[in-house]
Amino acid sequence: MQLFFSTSIDGLQMGLCFAILALGVYLSYSILDFPDLSVDGSFPLGGVCCTILMLRVGLPPLLAIPGAMVVGILAGMVTGLLHVRCRISPLLSGIIVMTGLLSVNLALTRLLTKTGQTTTIFSYRSEGLRGIFHPAFLDDLSPTARDAVTIGILFLFVLAIKLLLDLFLRTRLGYLLRATGDNASLVVSLGRDAGSYKILGLALGNGLCAVSGGLYAQLFMSYDNNSGSGKVVLALASVIIGTAVFSRMRLVKPTTAVVIGALIYSLCLNYLVLIDRDGIYLKLLNAVLFAAILIGHERLSAWREKHLGHTAHREGEKKDA
Amino acid sequence: MLDLLHIDKTFHHGTANETTLFSDFSLTIARGEFVAVVGSNGSGKTTVLNLISGSLLPDHGQVLLDGEDMTNRPPYRRARRIGRVYQDPALGTVPHMTIRENLALAENKGKPYGLSLCLSRKKNAYYRELVAELGLGLEEKMDIPVSLLSGGQRQALSLLMSTLTPVDLLLLDEHTAALDPKTADRVMALTERIVREKGITTLMVTHNLRYAVEYGDRICMFHAGKILLDRGGEEKKATRVDDLLSLFQSISIECGN
Repeated sequence: MQLFFSTSIDGLQMGLCFAILALGVYLSYSILDFPDLSVDGSFPLGGVCCTILMLRVGLPPLLAIPGAMVVGILAGMVTGLLHVRCRISPLLSGIIVMTGLLSVNLALTRLLTKTGQTTTIFSYRSEGLRGIFHPAFLDDLSPTARDAVTIGILFLFVLAIKLLLDLFLRTRLGYLLRATGDNASLVVSLGRDAGSYKILGLALGNGLCAVSGGLYAQLFMSYDNNSGSGKVVLALASVIIGTAVFSRMRLVKPTTAVVIGALIYSLCLNYLVLIDRDGIYLKLLNAVLFAAILIGHERLSAWREKHLGHTAHREGEKKDA
Repeated sequence: MLDLLHIDKTFHHGTANETTLFSDFSLTIARGEFVAVVGSNGSGKTTVLNLISGSLLPDHGQVLLDGEDMTNRPPYRRARRIGRVYQDPALGTVPHMTIRENLALAENKGKPYGLSLCLSRKKNAYYRELVAELGLGLEEKMDIPVSLLSGGQRQALSLLMSTLTPVDLLLLDEHTAALDPKTADRVMALTERIVREKGITTLMVTHNLRYAVEYGDRICMFHAGKILLDRGGEEKKATRVDDLLSLFQSISIECGN
């Protein structure tokens, strides 16, 4: 029971971190209709940049987050430029950037350690990292209260980003971005270069992924070069769960649905750890869970169509099946 | 107003399929003119539209709009002065946006797309009025995604959107071809009304000879990259569908069809 409780707390904390990642992928995948694999690279990029900004540059943890975002935006622009200006397909542009970022992240990691030997580079007390989630007074609180504060701070972060994204999507620029994913030729008809808006959307999406990576590094007070692997799957699963569960409820915004999807999926992942304590089959279980979600989503859509007469028409859902 | 000057266009350069469609092709359209273009498949009708809109570039020759050379401008820059309605009703609107959102997006054409909110309550009455004028009952569906509308409704909306802001030239690319006959008539009547009201220079490509005869001030028949027939004014008014049909058939026989 105790284990279940702590697993849930962990899942919730991670889920809130990944909610921002999922919002970034929602932007590229659902809004722009661009399956962006560079996310696997920009998530750890955000983590390592955030860490460097705090440890080497000495920025306060809160300012290191937007710093990480800027670097993520640059990575997203590279993906966008490869696709739009060099006419490389979306999947390949993402793979190229993801692969390149593996080395970039490794090189950046070397900035953090004298020997460059380890990938997990610091711990809270020995290296003196003070993340957003560990102000001094927290040390005196009980672990449970500390977790509650952490969840509260993370929640505020997610809420702020979600509201800003909602607001952005209601602006003229946001409308044009939505139109770019839905019908690029209309954007051209409006006298605008659809390619530029794709680049913008990918930049913002990867920027959010980097924010998520930065928060994650601060949350666990460690940065790991392998933390990027599987993040695309995680984010896509979150987006799909969210939009599938809430697709009939017009009152629930897609962004809210995506956040909840991320929470559900992270909790599921953490419960999987309970089943597979050695962690050997974790990725397999992860894949099976994702497949089960997709199949379930497919069945659910078919059932709805049969029994309720028409298909759901929510934005996030359009290309899922 | 619009000048296509000495256009050469060859497809599939250097392959066995190399076909020269246009050589030294020229077409001039005067301001305010409503031109209907007919012709068989492969006659170059749609290619002309693509050359004007910029999705195809000529091998030689120039495209002038109001005397301004557009030949090397990318499509999106040309589109600032050109409205276009496609054959496919899905191309003229944003399917997952509502009618209101689509109109708000189209209304902003020519202005910057910045960080101000796109929808404004003040505009609601205006949008409703615009849509009501289409006579399709869409004013009751302002908040429904366009993807749920019928082809005819979407095409009417596309037409409205493409002419919502002032454009110098309207390109209609077989815009009634995907509609049932009754809806097509309706969209065509609507086209006539909008074009006449706003006095927009219009180039309409159509397979419907009746529309070509009934609407517009000038009729052109294309065949294999040449203008076979070009009638305006009184001469156009005297033209009957049968005249076009017999000409059409004589070409077809010539081609061995």
